[in-house]
Amino acid sequence: MNTLTQSVKKFRRTPAFTGFVLFTIALVMNILMQGINSGTPLAFFKPAFYGSMLMTNAPFILTTMAQSLLLIVGLFDISIGIQLALVNVICIMVPQELGLPIWAGWLAAMGANLLVSAAFGACSSLLRLPAMLVGYAFTFIIKGVNVSIMSKPQGKVPKEVYLPYQTLIGGVLPVALLVIVAIFLMWLLIKRRPLGKHLYAVGGNPRNAYAAGISPVKVQMQANLLKGFIVGVGGICLTLMNASGNPLQAEDYGLRSLIACILGGMGFGGWGSMACGVFGASFFVLIQNAVYYFFSYLSKVITGFAVSTYWQNLVSDVILLLGLLVTIITAREQRKTLKEGLFNQFKGGEARVSR
Amino acid sequence: MIEMRDITKHYGAVQALKGASITIPAGKITALLGSNGSGKSTLVKVLAGLVSPNSGSILINGQPVVIRSGNDAQARGISTAFQDLSLLPMMTVSDNLLLGNEPRTPFGMVDREKSRQIVKDLMDRFKIRCSPQDYVQSLPSSTQSMLEIAKAVHRNPRVLLLDEATAALHMDEITVLFDILRDLRDQGLSIVFVTHRMHEVFELCDEAVILRGGETVKSGPVTEFTLDDLVYYMTGQRMAHHAPGQDVSETSRQGQAVLEVKNLSLPPRVKDVSMTAHAGEIIGIGGLEGQGQSDFMRAILGAKHKTGGSIRFLGEEVAFRQPAQAVKAGMGLISGERNREAMFPDRTIAENIFAGNAAVGPRFRFLPKKFVRKFSEDAVKTYRIKIGSLKDAASTLSGGNQQKLVIARWIAVGPKLLLLDDPTKGVDIHSRLEIHQILRESAQKGMAVIISASDMDELLEIAQRVYVFYEGRVSGVLQGDSMTQENMVSLMMGFTNEKADGLLMKSKEAQA
Repeated sequence: MNTLTQSVKKFRRTPAFTGFVLFTIALVMNILMQGINSGTPLAFFKPAFYGSMLMTNAPFILTTMAQSLLLIVGLFDISIGIQLALVNVICIMVPQELGLPIWAGWLAAMGANLLVSAAFGACSSLLRLPAMLVGYAFTFIIKGVNVSIMSKPQGKVPKEVYLPYQTLIGGVLPVALLVIVAIFLMWLLIKRRPLGKHLYAVGGNPRNAYAAGISPVKVQMQANLLKGFIVGVGGICLTLMNASGNPLQAEDYGLRSLIACILGGMGFGGWGSMACGVFGASFFVLIQNAVYYFFSYLSKVITGFAVSTYWQNLVSDVILLLGLLVTIITAREQRKTLKEGLFNQFKGGEARVSR
Repeated sequence: MIEMRDITKHYGAVQALKGASITIPAGKITALLGSNGSGKSTLVKVLAGLVSPNSGSILINGQPVVIRSGNDAQARGISTAFQDLSLLPMMTVSDNLLLGNEPRTPFGMVDREKSRQIVKDLMDRFKIRCSPQDYVQSLPSSTQSMLEIAKAVHRNPRVLLLDEATAALHMDEITVLFDILRDLRDQGLSIVFVTHRMHEVFELCDEAVILRGGETVKSGPVTEFTLDDLVYYMTGQRMAHHAPGQDVSETSRQGQAVLEVKNLSLPPRVKDVSMTAHAGEIIGIGGLEGQGQSDFMRAILGAKHKTGGSIRFLGEEVAFRQPAQAVKAGMGLISGERNREAMFPDRTIAENIFAGNAAVGPRFRFLPKKFVRKFSEDAVKTYRIKIGSLKDAASTLSGGNQQKLVIARWIAVGPKLLLLDDPTKGVDIHSRLEIHQILRESAQKGMAVIISASDMDELLEIAQRVYVFYEGRVSGVLQGDSMTQENMVSLMMGFTNEKADGLLMKSKEAQA
C-alpha cells in the first residue's frame, strides 16, 4: 500500500499529471455522452468504435508525440502537419509514377522527411533562426513541394496493404494502438539512455548543458531526426487510413499538436515528456467527440434542434481553453506563479507564497 | 601542473583580461583573488573552455594545449563549479549530478543501480540533505551550491576550479567543503579557489594569485602575505589597521528628516539596517556588489516586502505595497540597469522624459502634445542632455545621456526622496560629473538623495555620509574625516576593529 501511495505521489509531481487529469475528464465525458446518445451505456467500449477512433486519430497523436520531443529540447515545429502530407504524397506517388514497390515508396517518404527534419534542425539549432519563423517558412516550402509532386488529391493503396492497418487483432486490439505503443516504448528506451538526459539538459538551459560537456547542436539535431522518424510513421498511418493521397491535408496539425502538448503539461524546453503529448492529443480528440455526441443527443431530444459544426467547434474550443486553465492549476510551478500574480494584484510587492 | 600565460580577452571595448598569468601546481590549493571586475571569473571561464581568449597560451605539464569547449576541458581533467551555477533547475538532483557522465550498462542504457549508488555516496560525502529525486529548483541556494561542487568533484578531475563556491554556503557546509578540499589536495589534485572572503584564504589555501584590472599583480605562497598585503594588491590601497567603529555620532543636521529607517530586514539579503536621511543631504551606500544595497532600496520603495523594522517617510510611518504608491507619495528610483529597469528604448526621448510625470498625475487627464514637448524641452535644457530631436528613439542616445534622461525624468517631477542604485554604471567620466552636479543642485533645493555605487571614489566625492554594506548589514558609517579610501576598503571587506586585528594576528602567526 505504501509503495502505491508513494507511486501516486511521485506521479503527481511529474509534468504528465496535468495531461492525465485532463485526459481522464475528457474520457469520462466521452463515455457518458456517447452512452447517453446511443442508448447503450458502454458504447465507447465497442472494439469497432474505439478501433476506428484510434485509427483516424493515430496520425495526430503521433504528430503530437513528435512535437513533444522537440519541445523537450526547446524547439517546436509548426510545419510538422504539412510534413505528414509530404510523407503521404511520396508514399502514393513513388509506386504510382515510378512503378516501384510500395515499401520503396514508404522508404523514400521516410528518407524525405528525415531530410526535411535535418534541414529544419540545421536552420533552428545550427543557424539559430527562430523556430517559429523556420516552421512558418517550411510550411510554404513543403506545400510547394507537395503540390509539385501531386497536383491534386489522387492515388490509391492496394486493399491488401491498408486492410491490415484497419483491422483489430483478435477482435479487440487496433493496429493503430500498437503503432502508438511501439513509438512510446522507443521513447522510454531513449529516455533511459544518456541521450534522454541530454535532451532535457539542452532544453532546460543550453549554456549549462554545454558547460557540462554536452553539445546542444548535436542533441537538437538528434531530436529533430527522431521527430522526423515519428512523423514519417504518422504519415504512413495517414496513408493507410485514407488509402489515397492529398498534398494539402493535415496542415493544421502543426498548431494543434503544439496546443495539445501544452495542454498535456509540457513547457517550452526541458519540462514534460512524451506522455504529455499522448495525454494532450487524446484530450483534444475525446473532447471533440464528446461535444459531437452532446449535440447529436440534443438534436434527438429537442425536435427541430440543429446546430452547425461551427457551434460545436465553439463549444469544444471553450472546453480546450478551460483545459489550459486546468494546466495552470495542476502544474505546481504555474500554480505558484498564478498565486503570486493574484497576490501582487491585490496586495502588491514581491509576495512569498508558500507552496 | 597547469600554466596560463599572458591571457588577454576583450569584449568589444571592455578589456576583461590584460595579460593575466597563473600557475596552478599539483597538490596545492591556489587562491585566485581580486576585487569586482578584476577578471577572476573570466580567467576561470577560459580554463573551463567557455571563453576563448584573444591571445595567450595554456600549458599542461609543459605542453601547450588549446581548450575549445567545456568538453575539451573535461577531457583534460579540468572540472569547474561555477559561481552562477551550471545546474539545470528543472532536472532532478540525481540527473544533475551525473549529467554528461552517466554510468552505462553494456547496452548503452543509464545504469540505474550504479547511478543510485554514486549519487548516494556523493550526497553522503558532501552531507547534502535532500532526496535525489527532488527538482533542483525547489532547493535552497546553499544546497544548490553544494550540488554544483559535488557535480564538479564527481568527474574525478585533475584540476578543480571553484568560482566563489562558498558565497552561498552556511558555516557548517563550508567546514564540510574545506575538509573535502584538503582531502582532494592531499590526493594530488590542483585546486583553484576564487573567493572574496579573506579569512578563507588563510584558513585553506597554499598559494595566492592576485589580479587587478585584468592583470596578475602578485603571486606566491599564502604564508608570504599578510591580510594587509592581500587587500593592498587587490585594491591598490593600504587598509586602515583600525577601521572605524560601527556608529558615528549623528551630528546635528539642518533640514527635516525625510526618511528614517529602523532595523529594516529582508532576509537573507538585508539584515537589521537603520538609516536616516534629511532634506538636502546626499547619502552614499557603499560595499562590494550584491551585499544587499539594491534590496534595501527596493524595500524602501515597496518593490520588495520587508519582514521586519520600520520606515518613516516625511514623519509618517509607511509600508508601501508597490512602487506606484511610493512614487505618488514623493519617492523616485533611478536604476543603473537602464535597459532592464528604466528605458523604453523604442519610444521617443520626449515620452521617456515624460514617463515620470505620467506616473504621478491622474490617469485620464488630457495631455496636450505641446505640454509634453515643453516639459521635455525644459528637462533637456536644464539637465544638459545632448539629443538630436525630441522625437528620436531614446535608444539613439549615448549611455551617459540615456542615464541623464532617466535622472531628468525623476528630478523634473520633484520627489522629496530620490533613490539611485548604481546610477553611473557604464557611464563615462564627463557625464558622471554632470550627473553629480545635477544631484548636488537638487539636494540644495531640499531633496534627500540616497545613492549606491560600486565605485568607492564616486561615493567619497559626492556623499556627505556613507553607509557601507557587508553581507546585508551596515558594517560601518563614514563621514567627515573618517571618509577615506582605506576605511572604506576595510569596511567593504567586512572588517570591524576586532575582526581585522584578529586576522592580522592570524596571518602574521602563519608567516612566523
